[in-house]
Amino acid sequence: MPVSDFGFEEEDFTTSFSGQTLKRILAQARPHWRRVLGFLLTIALVSTVDSIFTFITAKMIDDGILANDRAALLEWVALYAGLIFVSAVGVFGFIYLAGVLGELIRYDMRRSLFNHLQELSLSYFDRTPVGWIISRVTSDTDRVAELVTWGLLDVTWGIFNIVTAMIFMVIINWQLALIVFAFVPVIVISALEFRKRILGEFRLVRKINSKITGAFNESVTGVRVTKALGREEENLREFGGLTSDMYKAGFRAAWLSALFLPIVQIVSAFAVGAVVWFGGLQFLSGAMTIGGISAFVSYIVFMLWPVQEMARVYAELQHALASGERVFSLMDSIPEISDRPEAFDPGSILGDIEFDHIDFHYDPESPVLRDFSLSVPRGETIALVGPTGGGKSTIVNLLSRFYEPTGGEIRIGGQDYTGFSLEAIHSRLGMVLQTPHLFSGTVMDNIRYGHLEADDAEVERAARIAGAHDFIIEMEEGYETEVGEGGVLLSVGQKQLISLARAILADPEIFIMDEATSSVDTLTESLIQRGIEAMMTDRTSFIIAHRLSTIKRADRILVIEEGKIAEMGSHVELLHARGHYYRLYTQQFRRQLEQEYEVFGAPSPATA
Amino acid sequence: MTDQVSDMDLQETLADRRIVGLWRLMRGYRLIFIIATLSIGVAAMARAGTYLLLGKYVDEILVAENAIRLLPLVALAFLGLALIQGGATYFSGRLAGKTAEGIAKRTREYLFDHLQRLPFRYHDKARTGELVQRSTSDVDAIRRFFSEQAIGVGRIVLLFVVNLAVLISLDARLALLSVLVVPITIAMSFYFFRKISNAYEAYQEQEATLSTRLQENLSGVRVVKAFARQEYERSKFDVENWEKFTRGRYVLRLHSVYWPISDILSSFQLLFGLTVGALMVMDGMITIGTYVAYAGMIIWIIWPIRNLGRLVTQMSSGLVSYGRVTEIIKEPEEPLDVGDYVPTEAPAGGLEFAGVEFEYEAGNAVLKDIDLRVQPGQVVALLGPTGSGKSSLVNLLPRFYEYTGGSLKLDGVELNDYPRSYLRGHIGIVEQEPFLFSRTIRENIAYGVQRDVSQDEIEAAARAAAIHDVILGFSEGYDTLVGERGVTLSGGQKQRIAIARTLLADPQILILDDSTSSVDPETEALIRAALESLMQDRTSFVIAHRIQSLMRADLILVLDGGSIVQRGTHEELLEEGGLYEQIHDAQTRIEDELEREIAGV
Repeated sequence: MPVSDFGFEEEDFTTSFSGQTLKRILAQARPHWRRVLGFLLTIALVSTVDSIFTFITAKMIDDGILANDRAALLEWVALYAGLIFVSAVGVFGFIYLAGVLGELIRYDMRRSLFNHLQELSLSYFDRTPVGWIISRVTSDTDRVAELVTWGLLDVTWGIFNIVTAMIFMVIINWQLALIVFAFVPVIVISALEFRKRILGEFRLVRKINSKITGAFNESVTGVRVTKALGREEENLREFGGLTSDMYKAGFRAAWLSALFLPIVQIVSAFAVGAVVWFGGLQFLSGAMTIGGISAFVSYIVFMLWPVQEMARVYAELQHALASGERVFSLMDSIPEISDRPEAFDPGSILGDIEFDHIDFHYDPESPVLRDFSLSVPRGETIALVGPTGGGKSTIVNLLSRFYEPTGGEIRIGGQDYTGFSLEAIHSRLGMVLQTPHLFSGTVMDNIRYGHLEADDAEVERAARIAGAHDFIIEMEEGYETEVGEGGVLLSVGQKQLISLARAILADPEIFIMDEATSSVDTLTESLIQRGIEAMMTDRTSFIIAHRLSTIKRADRILVIEEGKIAEMGSHVELLHARGHYYRLYTQQFRRQLEQEYEVFGAPSPATA
Repeated sequence: MTDQVSDMDLQETLADRRIVGLWRLMRGYRLIFIIATLSIGVAAMARAGTYLLLGKYVDEILVAENAIRLLPLVALAFLGLALIQGGATYFSGRLAGKTAEGIAKRTREYLFDHLQRLPFRYHDKARTGELVQRSTSDVDAIRRFFSEQAIGVGRIVLLFVVNLAVLISLDARLALLSVLVVPITIAMSFYFFRKISNAYEAYQEQEATLSTRLQENLSGVRVVKAFARQEYERSKFDVENWEKFTRGRYVLRLHSVYWPISDILSSFQLLFGLTVGALMVMDGMITIGTYVAYAGMIIWIIWPIRNLGRLVTQMSSGLVSYGRVTEIIKEPEEPLDVGDYVPTEAPAGGLEFAGVEFEYEAGNAVLKDIDLRVQPGQVVALLGPTGSGKSSLVNLLPRFYEYTGGSLKLDGVELNDYPRSYLRGHIGIVEQEPFLFSRTIRENIAYGVQRDVSQDEIEAAARAAAIHDVILGFSEGYDTLVGERGVTLSGGQKQRIAIARTLLADPQILILDDSTSSVDPETEALIRAALESLMQDRTSFVIAHRIQSLMRADLILVLDGGSIVQRGTHEELLEEGGLYEQIHDAQTRIEDELEREIAGV
């Protein structure tokens, strides 16, 4: 994960307590309220039984041993034994109920986040790093689920434990109980304060750790440069700064954590001292029993655990709230482009396309298109050429309705396309991207993505048209070959052919292609050209072109510069004009022929 | 004590047994770690002391009904014991933390340095993600081994031993009867935690799968939208999501079975002990005070032991992490400063290859019988198809790889006699797709020089590399960050920054790849000029991608299949015919065709 994402997350951390967010987090459990009730009851049961155990132990001492009454002793023992089973059932219940609830909530949240992500517009993804979104769906949902389950459980357990212990203490001796109660707030507050500090320290550790990861990542990726420039010493010195920071923060976090328990213990030792002292006095005056004193000591010792747990939950609450806020902000983000209320499916989008005085900007400060007009009769092939950032991609993004114009109107078949449903447009679009994106799975799966109902024969036919069939069957497992994550196991040329086959199988009415700039071998290149040609018949095509053969084949060439059409016409016309296109063309021509003739042995990798 | 150890050579710590290796890795921290463990023993004893004191207090003050004046003192004694216990616990945690953090620091630093000193051969095969993973998560696992697991096991064992010893001293029979189920508890705990760690691993794996699915969906969002495949994607994600739920549920089922059973077992042991003890008091075999003390201590024997299996399982995964780290550590570094001949001056730059051979793997020759003489300041252009050996040849010069046969002399001295640091200090490389670091542009330009560089020098280099104006165009100028958190540079811009970087380093010998990414003609001319100024007065090896480099070269080498098949100047080679002529003809044909194309329309 890139370093920047960590930074993003830390900055986002809120310190203010938001009751609204907490409510919404808790609401995640509402559909499963039976489970919540179940685990709350079972944990309450378990923690009450825990306190009863201590009470029984006291009774065994007083009513059994000291009264020298074997029958009474055995009665208490029998009760104890019975309660062991009750407690075990309770333990089973809360682990299972709370645990599965946690998994259910994780499942629900991931599912609704994922579903929501599918609705969001491209603009959202253009400005949000992938790593950020992934953290929302994974670690943040985890934290929220933890809070609603184990967090809630620990708090309930703690409260019941402390309250029932208090009740029993009052039953045994209320004066002494009051003395102990005086210590409880001190213990709780010191625990909370401490926890908060420790958490802050651990946050710092994580921050430095992500820097260290980044440093390793860069060092390994750039190892050749480091070696070539002899930077080893200097790099190590810089890295030493990071590890020293890490050491300091880590050590501080370690000793603060190590201090936590002793501090709470020592505070509670005051309570024990008080019990021994005043309890002793009361015993001697007959108001207290030995079993009672022993029970008091046990209650105080065991109160430390719930306090500790509650302090932990409290400290993590802040974190979970921040996570919740981020998750909800993602859930609440509204798709910028969605169907209008009366959106309809025109049945076909194969019609004349009209860009009517289009304005567009991603950022109001810097308009990309201004007053851009273009009309394209159905079936025409348009080649878009021009420098990077000139607006070519924006034109096809608008046509695909990934974005909508900020001014003007785009009409397909004479109708404003914002009246159509998105589904109506997208399901009739075929697209081949500059960097072809494949999904992990087989070649077959990837081509079929264009038309899910297609049978194997249809997939193969599309692959043949695209010119991909030959290389596919040459692979050991043919169409069943796994392409790897993002298609890493295939070459760029092969990925292009497969994505072309995918688009062919979709049998779109409008075809959009952003030609790859990276070069492929001559054979693959000619296959791709044939595939594109097959694609262009009977549909309207927009091609952001880099290859001369593609450009020449277009009905019309548009040179796009600075959001405007700088030149427009056929190849022949534009060459004669000896303007922008002429310069682009001759430069491209030389470069491409150099590659084709393999003048320098290897194609020069063009990376625009 | 914090900074002293980073220079320890971890290769010396390697041992056949991982536990021995870890012990050696602890050098300098062994004593404090032992003290940390012993402190836990002290804390356990103070705790047992508290209960003994409670027993005495019951017997000798309450039951005997005297010494009321001692009550405040007893209360104070409880506090004192708590202070000892707390102090020892803290001390132990602090020392364990110091050990763990110190060892982690030592390991991180060693790995960092080690990785940048491993030879190209190693990095060619290694995967970045894996190296980073090992250097971070695995090192963290080693840290936890010391700070949590080893010390945690020590804590459980010592609590058990100390409390049991005290119990035995109180009453041996009762003590024995109180630990009957302990062997079973331990066995169960080991069995369970091994099982749960496998189940948990499967759960984590599914988490990774889920992230990958999500990642794929997000990076392919244009495809998903363009084909309107949202429904399909949802159902695919749901399959993985549900699988994670089921695996999570399985983990919880294991937990929900183990803990109640273990609870029942331990609780009955506890109850059994308490009952037997009670009967013993009633029979006058032990005092009531002893019983109260016993009731307090017994818990510290029975409950913590159930976690032993967890810690031991975690320890074994810590050992696995350590094993993964040692796999990196044991790789031999390439020495940078070792060499018989260390001139104080920069080299003149004359090179002489005599029968140089090179193979990556035995029997797979990449360079065969290279004979070549280059005068200082000459420009040598290398030409040939991919895999012909162009890059391998130039990679021998900075000793990125070692030639496997023949002789290669720099200024008359065998290259192997020079330390690598010397060679690399005087050889500059401009790659085709140069790597820049995520730092400011200024830092990137100054990256190759180990001294303070003035702004003037940096700007001069940037001007000569024709990138100064571009840099000024960024909002923060030379302080603009490169990469993810800053500006994204085009291939051509990166290349020019790399040229500036090399100019500033002022090497005597130059290796450059003259391909330029697709840039407009003006920029191309700028880069060309920058390269020209770079080659001025330096021995230069140019991996040629364009005709201009050939025209300017003093010597052109045509490589094929690892051998030099043709050599000479442009004119000589043209006369000679062969591969060079064919290449040149192709070039001329291009111009002709362009003419025809334009004339034809």
